[in-house]
Amino acid sequence: MSEPLLDIRNLTIGFRAYGQYRRVLHDVSLSVGQGERVSLIGQSGSGKTVTMRTIIGTLPMPPGEVESGSIQYDRSSLLDLNKIERNKLKGTGISIVLQDPMLSFNPVLTIGRQMDDIVRYGDARLGQSRSRDARRRHIIDTLDKVQLSDGDRILDSYPMMLSGGMRQRVLIGMALLNKPRLLIADEPGTALDVTTQDEILALLNRLVAQEGLSLLLITHNLGVVREMADRIYVMDKGRIVEHGTREAIFNAPQDDYTKRLMAAVPPLYGPDVVTITNDKTAPKPAIAIEAVSKDFTSRSGIFNQHKTEHRAVDSVSINVAQGDIFGLAGESGSGKTTLAKMTLGLIDPTEGRIEIDGQDVGQTRGTADFRKLIQIVYQNPGSSLNPRRTITDQIAVPLKFTGHESTRIKTRVCELLEMVDLPADMANMYPHELSGGQKQRVAIARALSVNPRILVLDEPTSALDVLVQSTVIDLLHRLRAEFDLTYLFISHDLSLMRNFCNRVGVMLRGQIVEEGPVADVFGTPQHAYTRALLSAIPVTTDAAEALKPKVSKEERGAVLNRSTAIGG
Amino acid sequence: MSAPEMIDAKAQRSLTSRQMAMYRFTRNPAALIGALIVVSVVIAAIFAPWLAPSPESAGSFVDFRNRHMAPSWDNVMGTDNVGRDIFSRVLFGYRVSLGLVVGVLGVAVPLGVVLGLVAGYFGGWTETIVMRFTDIMLALPPLAMALAITAVLSPNLVNAMIAITLLWWTWHTRLIYRIVKAQMNEDYVEAAKLAGASHFHIMFRELLPNCISAIAVKISLDAGFVILFGASLSFLGLGIQPPTPDLGTMVATGAEYMPEMWWQAVMPGLAILYAILGFNLLGDGLRDMLDVEL
Repeated sequence: MSEPLLDIRNLTIGFRAYGQYRRVLHDVSLSVGQGERVSLIGQSGSGKTVTMRTIIGTLPMPPGEVESGSIQYDRSSLLDLNKIERNKLKGTGISIVLQDPMLSFNPVLTIGRQMDDIVRYGDARLGQSRSRDARRRHIIDTLDKVQLSDGDRILDSYPMMLSGGMRQRVLIGMALLNKPRLLIADEPGTALDVTTQDEILALLNRLVAQEGLSLLLITHNLGVVREMADRIYVMDKGRIVEHGTREAIFNAPQDDYTKRLMAAVPPLYGPDVVTITNDKTAPKPAIAIEAVSKDFTSRSGIFNQHKTEHRAVDSVSINVAQGDIFGLAGESGSGKTTLAKMTLGLIDPTEGRIEIDGQDVGQTRGTADFRKLIQIVYQNPGSSLNPRRTITDQIAVPLKFTGHESTRIKTRVCELLEMVDLPADMANMYPHELSGGQKQRVAIARALSVNPRILVLDEPTSALDVLVQSTVIDLLHRLRAEFDLTYLFISHDLSLMRNFCNRVGVMLRGQIVEEGPVADVFGTPQHAYTRALLSAIPVTTDAAEALKPKVSKEERGAVLNRSTAIGG
Repeated sequence: MSAPEMIDAKAQRSLTSRQMAMYRFTRNPAALIGALIVVSVVIAAIFAPWLAPSPESAGSFVDFRNRHMAPSWDNVMGTDNVGRDIFSRVLFGYRVSLGLVVGVLGVAVPLGVVLGLVAGYFGGWTETIVMRFTDIMLALPPLAMALAITAVLSPNLVNAMIAITLLWWTWHTRLIYRIVKAQMNEDYVEAAKLAGASHFHIMFRELLPNCISAIAVKISLDAGFVILFGASLSFLGLGIQPPTPDLGTMVATGAEYMPEMWWQAVMPGLAILYAILGFNLLGDGLRDMLDVEL
């Protein structure tokens, strides 16, 4: 292969903070060839974002310091360029697609204004200028490339008027405006639903091929990498632990870390899939949801005179048997969280009734008996734990309000910490002193403190890295066996659900479109939406890819919102 | 997550948050100076009878032979129109000022914080009533209100305190209300409700700890303003009455002898400046240290 477009050699970077120096990148070498797709994978905190920021020159220095190493881009050394020369490369040489399509826009300016600025400044850096109309034509052409055909309307819209998928497309379009040669994509589409993410990845792949771009993809998702990379670099704790072609890494990983990473990803199909069963037979269901609906009313107008009803949950009926791990799958806005909140008695259903262990939620909620029956583990332990209270204080809250004596509470807290495999000396720490996985264990301990029979798990692992996720999932399995628990598991991660649950229900716009044992729903999905959802999931092996259900374009179009048109 | 945040999160694991806060504080010379000034003012106030070169100057002491003396080694800040040592009176003046601060903030802060917690936590009608009443109080011009109140109640230290307190709690209500409103979206509040926690528990055990740093910063910034406000009232003759040594009253009396005998107004004025500067620097330093937005 000819000379690489981007060549990082032995880059070592450190940060100076609070009088301490710590190295975050150790001797990192990485290259991207002309027209090549390269992926950098690693867990949060592995240093991949620091690497990216150093390439594009937005790493704050100080506190950042480049100790040694070089970055060559197209025969010039990026670290030695002066500010003006380096700025010339921004957008025109190297361009970036950021992770969050909402935070990347200024909410008070139209899309057109923001894109026009990019073209104008890009032109100015290159010493050229174009008329306003010429710029607009160029922008609309670029939007066409990212399959946004309604260019004029999009340019006059504000960011909040577009869907997440469209914003991500506009963001990619922005990156392409000044015809870069290297595109850096930082976790593209991870903030979006899986079906939209699938479209975005396909789009990126097509653009790279059509425009002859080089792509540096930064991600933690191995499935995405398999679809998007020719070569792969694996990063751990600031070091490149392994690199090679996609085939080499996926088929024969050498490094221990890579192997562990691969093993931790729950498989969607194939021989490694674990099927959980529930062999308990109990006469009455743990949770019985009967024809439950929920309407939300939003008011608008100066005197709140206009009422708009929005049906979040539409006559849903589910029975969760004792000992089940029932998975509630669906994309954002499908109503799964609303359903969970009604189950917990936090909001009232508009119609229908929910029974927990044979008792009506409407009547028993708020009582100590109800709290001893059902508890919840939230998605983000950063938010569900009070940052200003110690671990003991937080775990003790449910105990205190179910009439435990204060002397008993202390021993119970120690017991609970042991149950979730946390050392007892964490009892007096504050949440910020714990890692994400440890925090989630504390949240689980708190939920279990009053010995509930049912746990609602609201995406309990989605904020965690995949290696940590697998340990938390193992813990949940163990606790279920030990304490006879029933789980209602809410998630959008179907791969995880396949291996964690014994029954699943798939929600679409407030309705359950398909429900049944995992093996059936994943093996022979009946509803077009389930098939569309499953086929969009990035998997890590070719075998799994072949086993994914096929879905025709028409079917997809019928069940999914398109991310390419306004109001679609 | 951006790079600096990532590093902060990492650093947190090796340094405790208290260590980091202390690091930020000690790297901030202004904050250190502010802390020293505040400590010196507090010491001056507490030990005024022992520190003052002529403690009798604090009262209705008269020494006409030594009146209108310019600053010298005997009287570092000069003497006033009846021959009292201004430096001694300033030290005793700090007593009155700090007494005012403690009295005002001791009532206004708890009142404001509780109202803010209640309004933010319960929402609905409670929120509407509390916050609209707060808005009405905020709409009244503070100095004019204080003047009206002290004029009606007869001017003295206690009434000045009452007047300032009545106006001061509103700021704390709004501050706490805003923080609580933001915290209510956090899952830990819902988790506490699901755990069966009482309203009292959620407000004072869960939400209040998250307001403490903001309250601390606000108090230290407030202290300076309360001193200033009290001095303004006294200057206008509606605050503390002579012979109680009060910085505002001293400026007012001294102003009659400007500009020839400048020290009589300027020295107490500088004393006010010194105390307020100290509290403000300390407040700014605390704000950086505890990383709160006001």
